[in-house]
Amino acid sequence: MEKIQQEKANLKYQLQNTMERKSSRKRKINKLVTILCIICVGLAIVPLGSILFEVIKNGVSALSVEFLTQRPGSMISGRGGIGPAIQGTLITVGIASIIAAPVGIFAGIYLAEFAGNGPLPHAVRFFNDVLTGLPSIVLGIVGYIVIVLVIGSFSVWAGSFALSIIMIPIVVRVTEESLKVVPNSIREAGYSLGIPKWKITLHITLKTAFSGVLTGIVIGISRIAGETAPLIMTILGTSLFFTGFDDPVDALPLRIWRLASQPYDSAHAQGWAAALILILIVLLFSVTLRLLAARKGFKVRVIRYSNV
Amino acid sequence: MSRTLKGPEEELSPTLQVSKVSESVEIERPTEVKDIPPAKLSIRNLEAWFGTKRALKGINLDVRENSITAFIGPSGCGKTTLIRCLNRMHEMTPGASAKGQAILDGMDMYDAKVDPVTIKRRIGMVFQKPNPFPTMSIYDNVAAGLKLNGIKDKKLIDDIVRESLEGAVLWEEVKNELNKPGMGLSGGQQQRLCIARALAMQPEILLMDEPTSALDPIASSKIEELVHGMKKDLTVVIVTHNMQQAARVSDYTAFMYLGELIEYGDTKQIFENPRMELTERYISGKFG
Amino acid sequence: MPRLMDLGISSVSENLSEMGNMAQRSLQIALDSYFQNNRSRKKVFELNEKLRSLEDEVGDIATEIVARYQPVAKDLRFIRASMEIAYIFWRFGRYSYDIIDTVDELHTGLDCNKTAVMEMSSFVLKAMELSLLSLRTRDETIVEKLYELDSTVDTLYRKYLRGTINANNKDDWKVHSRCDICNILILRYLERISDHACYLGDCVSYLVTGLSSPRR
Repeated sequence: MEKIQQEKANLKYQLQNTMERKSSRKRKINKLVTILCIICVGLAIVPLGSILFEVIKNGVSALSVEFLTQRPGSMISGRGGIGPAIQGTLITVGIASIIAAPVGIFAGIYLAEFAGNGPLPHAVRFFNDVLTGLPSIVLGIVGYIVIVLVIGSFSVWAGSFALSIIMIPIVVRVTEESLKVVPNSIREAGYSLGIPKWKITLHITLKTAFSGVLTGIVIGISRIAGETAPLIMTILGTSLFFTGFDDPVDALPLRIWRLASQPYDSAHAQGWAAALILILIVLLFSVTLRLLAARKGFKVRVIRYSNV
Repeated sequence: MSRTLKGPEEELSPTLQVSKVSESVEIERPTEVKDIPPAKLSIRNLEAWFGTKRALKGINLDVRENSITAFIGPSGCGKTTLIRCLNRMHEMTPGASAKGQAILDGMDMYDAKVDPVTIKRRIGMVFQKPNPFPTMSIYDNVAAGLKLNGIKDKKLIDDIVRESLEGAVLWEEVKNELNKPGMGLSGGQQQRLCIARALAMQPEILLMDEPTSALDPIASSKIEELVHGMKKDLTVVIVTHNMQQAARVSDYTAFMYLGELIEYGDTKQIFENPRMELTERYISGKFG
Repeated sequence: MPRLMDLGISSVSENLSEMGNMAQRSLQIALDSYFQNNRSRKKVFELNEKLRSLEDEVGDIATEIVARYQPVAKDLRFIRASMEIAYIFWRFGRYSYDIIDTVDELHTGLDCNKTAVMEMSSFVLKAMELSLLSLRTRDETIVEKLYELDSTVDTLYRKYLRGTINANNKDDWKVHSRCDICNILILRYLERISDHACYLGDCVSYLVTGLSSPRR
């Protein structure tokens, strides 16, 4: 009995001893890891910062009202603008998101709420992931074959189609993931009130996951706004303003690419400015959507009770 | 939407009424015979599975009208499964199934013709953890069941929201902030909000699955008082792992063990003089 | 592992068995002092005081157990019964003291006819013995026997009372002796003890079966 007591005391002593010795080492390791993390964050931010810096430094000089609204002029002169490109990007990306957002959201809802874990949803998830990883030029070719060749001309439709195919899998994935984190107790609360499942999904579950779904849409739009390769195969690019959905249009990435491939400094400056505009459009859009969502959070309805 | 009102002409019959469907089945009846209210919900040979695991092994029990019935038993005894079978919520869990009869006023809710969704409109449920709808205001939380079931009359909804919040003894605390999010309330208030949400559907039976397990003692006792007050209007079934709570709040107590109903009777009798050795050992804290 | 409540319950249990022994002893002493003309009033008085304080103690512990552990089932019945049993034991002690008090007051310098008391006390001692046995062994069937004994005791008491009244009626009331009063009082106390023995039997029966027997 006494022996055990003795051993216990020994053990306690040893433990305390090692802990004291180790604690200073532990503190050092702790510090090291923290510093490492900060360095990594810096490494990630530096390229982003330097890109923004470069873009602003080189682009600001070319910015003017004329630049934003005019058609492109002669490449050498440095005159003219990117009006058609801005317009074309807004139209193409707009149509693409109008197609992709609902399709993606409903597909995501299907996968998260209705499909379960059978072989079919499994396959859908798999192909969706494959689609996300597909090179965008391939989708451009698909757009070219399916629409351009059929209607006989490069067109807004073809471009929007190709872009929406890029956006859909992103929205599907994010929607599914955001719906899956909605606690089941919320759905059960809905069931327990005798509400049909589709209503619960639309009015309760989706609403709860709304900010997640919105993030998905923002990510998707940001992604397709910058796509160039599929647009070469579908909308071709032009120096004219929008003339019709069946005709070619211009787009910012295409215009940037064209300007950058010129040998003139003035064209390069315009290219930088166009890039700056593209970044600003995406940023503006993302912020606006978030603000709108935040404001929509609680609809205010004044309820009056006469005898309160 | 019809409100269930009980007129004086519906005299409670003092004798036990056994539904015709199952005269052959022997029923656990409370031992101390006093004026026993009629059965509101008769459970017959109810079995439930999770996949191939049988969680309920043939339960027979009569839930009495306008009374509070408590299900007690150690973890995993099937009490939560049983209560979730009583509004057909159990089968919503993937892989889960149930069979048998649960006869609500003469209608078997496990009949093939019955729509499980409509059953839930007559039988409300309150869950273990308060689960108000996160994106909704206090008002909308209570109104959600009505609105999403197609009620459009704003005035009626306003009235029912107020009535339900009063019924859940929450009105005085929230009447000036009905537009604030339901998630902003304290745990106890959230749970009462959930009760109000269930009451808004004018249920005939309210099922409560360990409604106070996530609450502090003061909030719990508020819920208990509330439950006690509710029985004049509806029938309450409550699952609890707190035996003292069952003793405090219920009229009848059912003790379950390993998916079986071991003993069912008057709460006073169960706690003062249980007939089964197993019940005795469980409630005196000798196992479980 | 014992439950926390078991500590309280076993201390109540110990108190009860001690009280039972004390109650039995005090009745024995009280009767002996009558039969053998010795004076043990102080001893019985002390026992009585002790019984009363133990009764308080049982009540305290029982209340504490109820407040702290909310006993149910057998525990609850034991707690409820133990308070009543403690009271009964104290009554035993109290009647014993009443007996010895009566003996002291009335029987000094006399040597009365003790046959009636002797006859009845044998039944009452037996009843007390049995009631304690039923508590020790938790044998609720003994209660029947207790009621049988009690009815015998009642009959004896009534018989002696009537006999005494009739005897005194023949002559003048004034002649009735101190002995008669002394005997009747002692018999009365013994009869009460017998009643309480029955109640003790009832308590045991409730403790075991959970059914409170109707007061007979």
